[in-house]
Amino acid sequence: MTAHPRILVLRIGTFLLGLASLVFSGCNSSRDPNTLVVGMELSYPPFEMTDEHNVPVGVSVEIAKALAADLGKELKIENIPFAGLIPALRTNKIDLVISSMTRTVERAQSIDFSAPYLTTGLCLLVSKETSISTIADLDKAGIRIAVKQGTTGHIYATNHIRNARVLPFEKETAATLEVSQGKADAFIYDQMSTYMNWKKHPETTRPLLTPFTQESWAIGLEKGNDELRTEINQFLKNYKADGGFERLGDQFLSEQKHAFGKLGFPFFF
Amino acid sequence: MTPHSLLFDSDSDCKSPSIQARVTSFAIALLALSVVLFAAFYVLQYQWNWSSVFRYKAKFLQGWLATLGISSISLIFSFLVGTIATVCYRSRFLPLKYLANLYVELIRGTPLLVQIYLFFYVIANAADIQNRYLVGVLIMAIFSGAYISEIFRAGIEGVGRSQLLSAKAIGFSEYQTFRYVIAPQALRSSLPALAGQTANLIKDSSLLSIIAISEFTLNAQEVNAFTYSSFESFFPLALGYLALTLPIMRLSRILEKRLRFDT
Repeated sequence: MTAHPRILVLRIGTFLLGLASLVFSGCNSSRDPNTLVVGMELSYPPFEMTDEHNVPVGVSVEIAKALAADLGKELKIENIPFAGLIPALRTNKIDLVISSMTRTVERAQSIDFSAPYLTTGLCLLVSKETSISTIADLDKAGIRIAVKQGTTGHIYATNHIRNARVLPFEKETAATLEVSQGKADAFIYDQMSTYMNWKKHPETTRPLLTPFTQESWAIGLEKGNDELRTEINQFLKNYKADGGFERLGDQFLSEQKHAFGKLGFPFFF
Repeated sequence: MTPHSLLFDSDSDCKSPSIQARVTSFAIALLALSVVLFAAFYVLQYQWNWSSVFRYKAKFLQGWLATLGISSISLIFSFLVGTIATVCYRSRFLPLKYLANLYVELIRGTPLLVQIYLFFYVIANAADIQNRYLVGVLIMAIFSGAYISEIFRAGIEGVGRSQLLSAKAIGFSEYQTFRYVIAPQALRSSLPALAGQTANLIKDSSLLSIIAISEFTLNAQEVNAFTYSSFESFFPLALGYLALTLPIMRLSRILEKRLRFDT
C-alpha cells in the first residue's frame, strides 16, 4: 500500500468532504413542526412503561397524549435513558421531557420547567436485616447505598452522604436487587416506586416510606421557550380542573392510592 | 506472506515516503478529521461547559486507574482461563472437550451485558461472593478467556501437519512435539491477536459500570449526570481509553511485522 502521498491526500480529502456533507444534511433536517416529540424513559411503571406490544403506556404517556391533543399536534414518544433526557432536550432531539422528572435548581440551570403537576418525596427501601430506620442512620462507614444514576436520589446522596459508600446504578431493577440480596443496605428513591419495589421483594426488603425530602415533578422544555411554557401551564391547569389527574390516579395507581391513604400520606397529584 | 507483498512492504524498501511526507500527510488527515468533528458540533450549536467537568478531574483519574487495575488483573486471569480451556479442548476425554467447547461457544455467542447480570446477581450471589470488584474481575476473565482460548486453538491448529509428521519421524514424544514444535509457533502466531484481545478487554470492561463498579466509564457517566452535560465527559473518556489501547495496538502492529520474516 504505497500510494503517492499527494493522491492519498486527495483521496482522504474527497472522502472527508463526502462525510461532512452527510453530517450537515443529516443534522439540518429540522423536525416536523406538527409533531410533538416527548422524551421519557419507559422503565418506570406505572408512569412510563410499555405494554406487551411494545407500545408506550402509563400516566406520563396519557399526559403527553392529552397535551399533544391540546396543542393540536401529533405525538411521538422517544424512549431515552433518564440521564440522557436533558442532553437530548438540549441538543433539540426532543421537544419536551415528561418522565417523572423532579424540578430542581441544578436542572433548571440547563432547562426550563413547567408548573409542577405532582408532589412526592424521597424515601428508603432497606434490606430486611438492617437496623436502619431513618435517613440519619444511613451515613455511616460500612453502609452501602444504592441509587439510580442521575435521579434526585443520586443528587441527594452526592450532596449529603459523607461516610457511606454510594453505588450508582443505571437500572432501578438492579438497585432493588442489590438491596434484596443484601449487597446494598438501602436504596434512595421516591415513595411510589419504593412501595412497588417492596411489593416485588416483600420477603427480603422493608420500605421506610416517610419522605425526607419534598419534590415536585414538572414537564421539562428547552430554555427560553416561554410561549410553549405558558401553553403547557394552561393545559395542566385545565387538565387538573377537569379531573384528568384524578382519573389517571384511579386508572394506574389505585393500589398505591389506597395504601398511601391508609398510611396517612397525602396522595400525589 | 507471499514473496510479492514482501517485496512491496512499505517499511523495507527505499521507495517508502520520506518522514517529512509522512508527518505532513498525518497532520492533514488529523486536521481533516478535526474539521469534520468541529463542523458537526457547530451544526449542533452546543453550549460547551468544560469548567464544571474539569472540577471532577480527580474522579476521572480515579476511574482510569480502576480500569487499568481491573483490566490488568483480568488479563492475567483470562490467560489462565484461556489456557485451561484450550487444554481441555484438546483433551481426549470427551466430556471435558465438549465442556470447553460449550464454554467458548456460550461466552462468545451471548452479550457481555447478559453475562454480567447473570453472573453477578445469580451465580456470584449463590456462591456468596460479596465483593463486586472480585466478581467483576472474574466475569472479565471468563469472558476474555473464551476469546483467548479460540486464539490459542487457531494458533495450534495453524501448525502444519507435515511438521507433526516430521516430529514423529525423528522420534519426538507427544510432549516433545508440543513443547518444541507446536507451542513456539502457536504462541508466536497468536501474539498479534492476543494484543488485539487485550485492547478489547480494556474497552469491554466499561460494561462493568452496570453493576456499580466504580471504573472509568461509570465515573464519567456520573460526572455527566452531576453536571447535566452531554459530551464534555465523553472526550476525556475516549482519550483515557485511547491512552491504554493505542500503545497495545502499536505493539500488535510491530509484532505482526516481526513475525512476517519468521515464516
